[in-house]
Amino acid sequence: MKLEGKAKMLRIHFGEDDKWNGKPLYRAIVEKCRALDLAGATVFRGIEGYGASTLIHRSHLLSFSPDAPIMVSVIDSEEKIQTLLPFLDEMVSEGLIAMSEVEVIKYVHQEGVRSE
Amino acid sequence: MIKAGPAKKVSIYVGQDQKYHGESVYAAILEFLFYRKVSGATVIRGVAGFGADHHLQTDRILVLTENLPMKVEFIETPEKVEELLPKLHEIVGTGLIEIQDTTIVKASESLKHAARQESAPALKHAETAKLMRIFIGENDKWNGKPLHTALIESMRANDIAGVTVYQGILGYGANRRIHKDGMLHLSHDRPMMLSVVDTEERLRAFLPLLDGMVQQGLVVFSDVDVIKYTHDYQEAERRKAVRP
Repeated sequence: MKLEGKAKMLRIHFGEDDKWNGKPLYRAIVEKCRALDLAGATVFRGIEGYGASTLIHRSHLLSFSPDAPIMVSVIDSEEKIQTLLPFLDEMVSEGLIAMSEVEVIKYVHQEGVRSE
Repeated sequence: MIKAGPAKKVSIYVGQDQKYHGESVYAAILEFLFYRKVSGATVIRGVAGFGADHHLQTDRILVLTENLPMKVEFIETPEKVEELLPKLHEIVGTGLIEIQDTTIVKASESLKHAARQESAPALKHAETAKLMRIFIGENDKWNGKPLHTALIESMRANDIAGVTVYQGILGYGANRRIHKDGMLHLSHDRPMMLSVVDTEERLRAFLPLLDGMVQQGLVVFSDVDVIKYTHDYQEAERRKAVRP
């Protein structure tokens, strides 16, 4: 897989408790990205935040609802990202999806280690 | 800061259990007033009372479902009160808002405020720059030490303005393509992202070094506007001299 020059970065924000078909939404998104053969996806867990609902998401130890904010970041060419969007439309029922321009400087991996 | 003279006193009555976006209404009001820089506010909890619904609330021990009356009070200039009212209306819900004319005989003084006025306002510094994101794995090593640590150290040594390391909880990418039996949980090699902001020249100058260190991973650039605040003029001037 080659990825160079201008590319797009997609960031998807939602809550840790969000589910898709019974599994965590973030895991479902990463699996979908992999199934679509996108270059990569990374999930980050925030420690505090709020979103469209203005409900504060906090991951305090003693809190009853540790619904921490989650951000999934995906970088690939615009065409590849576009293949993911229809699925996200369906999967992300509450959240934010933002796309921005990036310039790929380096994308390296060891040849032949890719599992099928 | 509020001065002696005519002013408005606002009293807001709500129930202790009343909620606004998952938070107690009185706490939401207090937070709102605090961040809108109201000169002061007090929350008072009543021991008994009743409101529009004529349900008597008390703090008698046997009554477990207490919804005690809470009163939030603050004093501000008429203009400020006018400005705050629409939002207060929204937060207060079924509660009551009352405004009275009042006169401030002596305004309260803040030592901190007096001290702050002497110092100059924050120096704001805006320009365009580049944001570099580096995606690597937690287990990646460089000369025996974790790659993310090595990268931070070398950036610091090369006078890069600043870097933050984020640890992801799940992911795959160029360097994490090995997934046994297709499972995606690999708790021991978590994805790491370093985010670096500096001028394009500085970041490009660092790339050869980066090339030697990152064996697997992804490096991307994007445009950002830097808006920086600093209180330390001397330090800012010194830095400017070092890096024009």
